[in-house]
Order: sequence, then C-alpha cells, then structure tokens
Amino acid sequence: MDVLPDEDEAAIQRSADAFLAAECTPSLVRAAEQDPARWSPALYRRIAELGWLRLCLPEQDGGDGVPLTHLAVLFEVLGRHLAPVPVHATMVGAIAIARCGTPGQRALLPAIGAGTLRLSLALQEPDGRWSAEALRLQGRRDGDAVVLNGGKGFVDGFRESGRCLVAFLLEGAPALALVDSKAGGVTAVDLVTTAKDSSAALTFREVRVAMADVIPGAAPLRLVMDLAAALLAAQMAGAARMATERAANYAKDRLAFGQPIGSFQAIQHMAADALITIDGAQLLAREAIWRLGAGLPATVEAAQAKAFANEKCLIACRIAQQIHGGIGFMAEYDQQLWYRRVASWAHRCGTVQEHRKVVAAALLDQQGPVRLDVPLVAE
Amino acid sequence: MEFAFDAREDALRREVQAFIADQLTDEIRAEIDGGELGLQFGPKAAAFFDKVRARGWTGVSWPVEYGGQGRSAMEQFIIEEEFCRAGLRIGGAGTGAPAILASGTEEQKRAYVPGCIRGDIIFAQGYSEPGCGTDLAGIQCRATRAGATYVIKGQKIYMTAAHVATHIFLMVRTDPASRRQAGLSILLVPIDTPGITIRPLWTIQHDPPAPRGTTYGEPRTNEVFFDDAVVPASCLLGEEGDGWAVAQRGLNLDRVGARRYLISVMRDEDIVNWLKQDGEANRALRADPAVRDKVAELWIEGQVCRMLTMRSMSIERRGGDFVYEGAAEKVWAPEHGVRATEAIGQILGPQAQLLSSSPMAVQGGVFAHNLLGAFQSTINHGSVQVMRDQIARKGLGLPRAGKR
Repeated sequence: MDVLPDEDEAAIQRSADAFLAAECTPSLVRAAEQDPARWSPALYRRIAELGWLRLCLPEQDGGDGVPLTHLAVLFEVLGRHLAPVPVHATMVGAIAIARCGTPGQRALLPAIGAGTLRLSLALQEPDGRWSAEALRLQGRRDGDAVVLNGGKGFVDGFRESGRCLVAFLLEGAPALALVDSKAGGVTAVDLVTTAKDSSAALTFREVRVAMADVIPGAAPLRLVMDLAAALLAAQMAGAARMATERAANYAKDRLAFGQPIGSFQAIQHMAADALITIDGAQLLAREAIWRLGAGLPATVEAAQAKAFANEKCLIACRIAQQIHGGIGFMAEYDQQLWYRRVASWAHRCGTVQEHRKVVAAALLDQQGPVRLDVPLVAE
Repeated sequence: MEFAFDAREDALRREVQAFIADQLTDEIRAEIDGGELGLQFGPKAAAFFDKVRARGWTGVSWPVEYGGQGRSAMEQFIIEEEFCRAGLRIGGAGTGAPAILASGTEEQKRAYVPGCIRGDIIFAQGYSEPGCGTDLAGIQCRATRAGATYVIKGQKIYMTAAHVATHIFLMVRTDPASRRQAGLSILLVPIDTPGITIRPLWTIQHDPPAPRGTTYGEPRTNEVFFDDAVVPASCLLGEEGDGWAVAQRGLNLDRVGARRYLISVMRDEDIVNWLKQDGEANRALRADPAVRDKVAELWIEGQVCRMLTMRSMSIERRGGDFVYEGAAEKVWAPEHGVRATEAIGQILGPQAQLLSSSPMAVQGGVFAHNLLGAFQSTINHGSVQVMRDQIARKGLGLPRAGKR
C-alpha cells in the first residue's frame, strides 16, 4: 500500500504540468470557447505528439502499455489547466475497445493513439439518467447489421469525433456500437453548457451499423461508465485544486481592513476545507482508476469518487469564487473559467444521488456484514 | 500508486484475526471491560496480553535493540487495527515511546522503550493546563533546576491516563523568563514522585458507563497537582528549552494511526450492519430512499477517512515528510465521525438517545454514548480549528493573522 505517485507517475505529472502551464493558457481556453468548434485541434495535436494518447494503450495496439494510474495523474493535470480537448471520451472509449473489442475494432487504436481518430461517448438518453437500466435507444438486427432508432443526450465532443461509442439495447440487452459520427440518419443539436464546450444531443433514425462495429454485453458498458466517471472525477479534482491555489494566491495579495484577507481565519478555514476535500476526491478517483487498471471490480469505487467529486469540487470552486469577491464574477477575469467547467462536469457521468444509489445497493442489498476496507461489489 | 496491501500484510491481518477469534474468550473480555482504560485487568487477561507480546505484536515498528520488531509502521497499523476492532488497545504507548526514540539519550531509550512494549511503563500525557489547551505555548507549570534535580510546581488537567500510568510525559516551563514556545521542556516524571496529587474529573460518559467501542467512552480523566515535586535532572527528554520540538516529534504519528482512524469510521460500519439485520424496523429503514442516500454519503466520507489515513501511512513509509497531511486527516476524520454519529441518531429515531443502562437501548447504547463522545475527537490532540490554521498556512501558504 503506497497511495502516492511512484517515480514514473510523478515524472508524467511534472512534465504534463509544465507543458500545459506553458501551452494551455487561459487565453487558449477562452479562444476555444469562442471558436464555433469549441475545442483546440492544435493543442490536441501537440498532446498526441507527446504520446499521452497512446500511453495506456496496449503495446500490441501501438501503445506504451503503462499502468492506468498514469492516466489518473494525466487527467488531474488536464483538469488543472482546463485543456479544451476531447481526451476524456477518446481515452475512455479506447480503453474499452482495447479491453473488450474484437481484433477488427482494435485496429482503430493506433489511429486513436496517434491523435487522428477521436471518439465521443453517447451513453445517456435525452433524459440524462446515468444508469444502464435507463437505456432506451433501440437496435434492431438486420442481417449483419444493426439499425439504431432513438435519441441520446449529453454527447461531449461529438462534432470533433470520428466515431461515437453509442450505448443501446440490442434486442433488449445492453451493447455498444462504434458509430461513424458522419453516418446517415444521425443528427446533432449543439447544447450550450456552463463549460461552453462541445456537447450535443443526438437523434438516430434508421442508422445502420455493421455488427462488426458492435461490442455486445453489459460488462463493456459497465467498464465504459466506470472509466468515464472515475477519470472525470480525477479531472475535476485537478481543476478544483488549481481554483483553490489561485484563490489562495489572490488572498495573499488582496488587502482588507489593512491585512491580506488570507490571514483571516474565516478565509483560511474555507480554503483548508476545500483542500482537504479535493485531496479526498483525488484519492478516491485514483483508487478507482488503480482498480480499473488492475482489472478489479471498480463500479462502487468509481461511484464514490464521482459522488464525492461532484459535491466537493464544486464547493471548492465556489469557495474560490467567494474568496475572490466581485472580481470572480467578471467575465474578463480568469477565475470563472474553472468554476464554470467544474459546475458542468459535476453534472456529467452521473449525479451525486445516482452514484450514491450504486453505493447504497452494494452496502444494503447484499448478504453479510460490511467492513470499510473490504471492497464492495456492485450487483 | 498501489491501493492494496501486499501478501505479507494480508497474511499478518489474517493471523491476528485468527488469534483474536481463538484466544479472546468472553471471560477475558469481561476482565478487560471491568478494568480501567483497557489497562488494569485480572490474571486471565494478563495471560492473554502476555501471549500478544510473545508474538511481538506490541511495539512492532520500534527498533529491535529496544525490544521492538523493527517491522514496518503498516504492520503495526494492521495489528493495532485488528485489536481495536475487537475493542482492545495494544501497543499504543501514545506520545511516550515515539518521542523518546526520537529525542532520548541511549540510556533513556533502554530505560523506557522495552518497558512500554512490555506494558510495565505507561505514560500519561501532561500537556493541558487550566489556562491552556490547544495553545500549549501558554504553559505555566514550572520546573526549576536545583542542582541535579528539577522542582516542579503547577497544575495539569485532562490527564486521562494519570490514574493508571507509571509516568507522566510532562511539558513544563523551565525558563521563567521565556514566553510562548521558547523555554518549554519535556520531563519524564515517575507518577509516584512525592508532591504529585491526582484527582478524578468525571466525564459525561461517567454514569452509566459507555459500552466497548464508544468513541471517547472514558468515564474519567484527571487533574494533577505538582507541589514542589522533585525529580532527577536525568528525567529531562532532549535539550532543556527544546520541549516544543521534542513534543512535536512525537505528535505527528499520534494524530494518525489505526485507533484515530477507527474511532471515526466504526459507526459507518455499525449502522450498515444494523440496517442489514432481520428486524421489521431494520427492513423498513433500509428500504427508505432517504436513509439509503444518507448511509451511502456517510460511507463515502468514511472511505475518504480511510484514504487520508493510507496517505499518511504512505508518507510515513517514505520517511515521514508531512506538510499538512496529518492535520488534514485530523480535521476530516473526527468531523466525519461527528456527522455520522448525528445522522445515525436521526436514522434510528428516539431509541438513539438511550444510554447503556436503559431498556430498549440500541446495541448496548453505543449510538447514544457516541453522541456524548464523538465530538471530543474534534477537540483533543489539536482542535480542528487549529488544524485548519496549519493546513491553510502549510498547505496553501496563507499568512498568519496580523502578518503582512
């Protein structure tokens, strides 16, 4: 048991942080927001060149095959600098393909690792519920193809993706399909989130997908949902930490009543609470990602990480706004960039209540006593 | 990152669990529960603890040359956790032995540490005074050097183990002209030194007594008076005037560790396991969506306690370079324990207020007694407010009040 980053993980963290601190400035983040595409292709290219996208892909698929924990620290750093690039959906999809895909599907991975193929995730229905039971999108078998009809909501990065990983019911059973984002019958409506990033609602009308592009079964969908929740929690912890550090720096300089406001205990104690809970969210996310990397069940760990991050990272960012006072509400001041994104991410990949339901079911609906250090298994 | 115990640690945990299941009989339990602070007990319990020591399970992480096993802090954690879960305290010599190992002379290490491991030497912590608690820089209890002795005059309070201890780990002011932290020293004072008077202070857990496993269920603490008590100068630990630093060296690990972790999270397990019992009320509550949401929330908070504890253990493993992490754990875990205790009371309903001697008490009254004790963990060993000050300064670089 050593929950701290090892030398390799710390090295990735340092180099990624140095790179994004220089390249992913608030002005780049703002420029991406203003751009109709709402992301930064140039930054994504640089990230691909640095090899981040192939880091945790298997060596046989052109990746480096390093443990998934490296992705945990990488997502913290991506969140820290609010990188406006579709790494989250692309990596979640790629790892699921690597784990559950056919050889034909895995043939997509080198292009993903090289940055030329990006993925989006269409998991939730238009009602936005985060649960495999909420699946409604219908897939009808038609020879060696499946025909999709229905809707999806909250598809991040759809416009910039080459393939969209769509969750659907294949004759009643959960499945995933690697749908060509330009396929006929798919229409997208852009949503405007508090993050002002790329998100869409989709309609599928008689969309034909080859069965060769289908990943059937509940387990792959479960993996995708767990990965998505855990990695987003890591990203949120990174963003909330930066928001808190910025607020602390502001509080050292800003004077009130003849003193830096950071010397007041009312400010110090808010900031301390933010730091403690950000650490908690980070550790829960890292544990979930470590378990996913080790091939262990991690549905409960991902749920607890995202439930905690949703609540505490948003509170931390709001505390950072409070410390900044009026200036934090001003569009031209950068602090709000962190708040708006965490406010959005707290509503993606499952709400507090949805994730707590998963934890409650694992706690209460199974036989035998529980112990805090013995992992629960979701049913 | 590695979020699992290794095979050796897992095997140790199983070994300890099997030992406790096999050896801890109801008779021995009764003797221990009838004693004081798990320390004064009859012959059967004494024989049980002899077996525990024979296995080398007290002072596991302390150096071999002073009677320890020289094993890892994590192994000590695992052993202490399993004993705590069984309602027993072992090897927790608190501030005494770790501080002596950090700052003592060779002679002092040999004189005290093996005794702490054997259980013959028990330290009571003599820090708080009527006029100062969290701000120990306000200490007034005096020790005056007179030849080869110190003469101690003053008063200490909340010395919980004084009536069962053999020694006091006493913080005194040795330089009367000094202020704040400067001029403080640590003395290792035999409890039977003439001039020391111990008087009981009864806590709100006094009557009826709290059941085993209650957070701060101690019925008694003490005030201790020093009327020109004379001790040899060799009782000084570390340098004269360096007492603040000497005490700090022993304190970081006192704020973390198995017992502190467990007292904050035991109720999370208790409420879930109670809800899973077969009664009608249990069934109805565990089907209630509001209860399920609250229990999951508490469980997740409890997991954060576990994670922060494992982070502290990881830092310790890498050499103990704490910045603010021990303080963070000391805020989150006790406050979680309080939140859980209060929320569980509302889940259980009016039965949650029933103390151990009451008919209809739930699980021996542990939830009611916890309402009386849980908040104590946010006060002692550094209040959560002072811990937050430290986190803000050390973790975020914020300035002290009044400084520019």
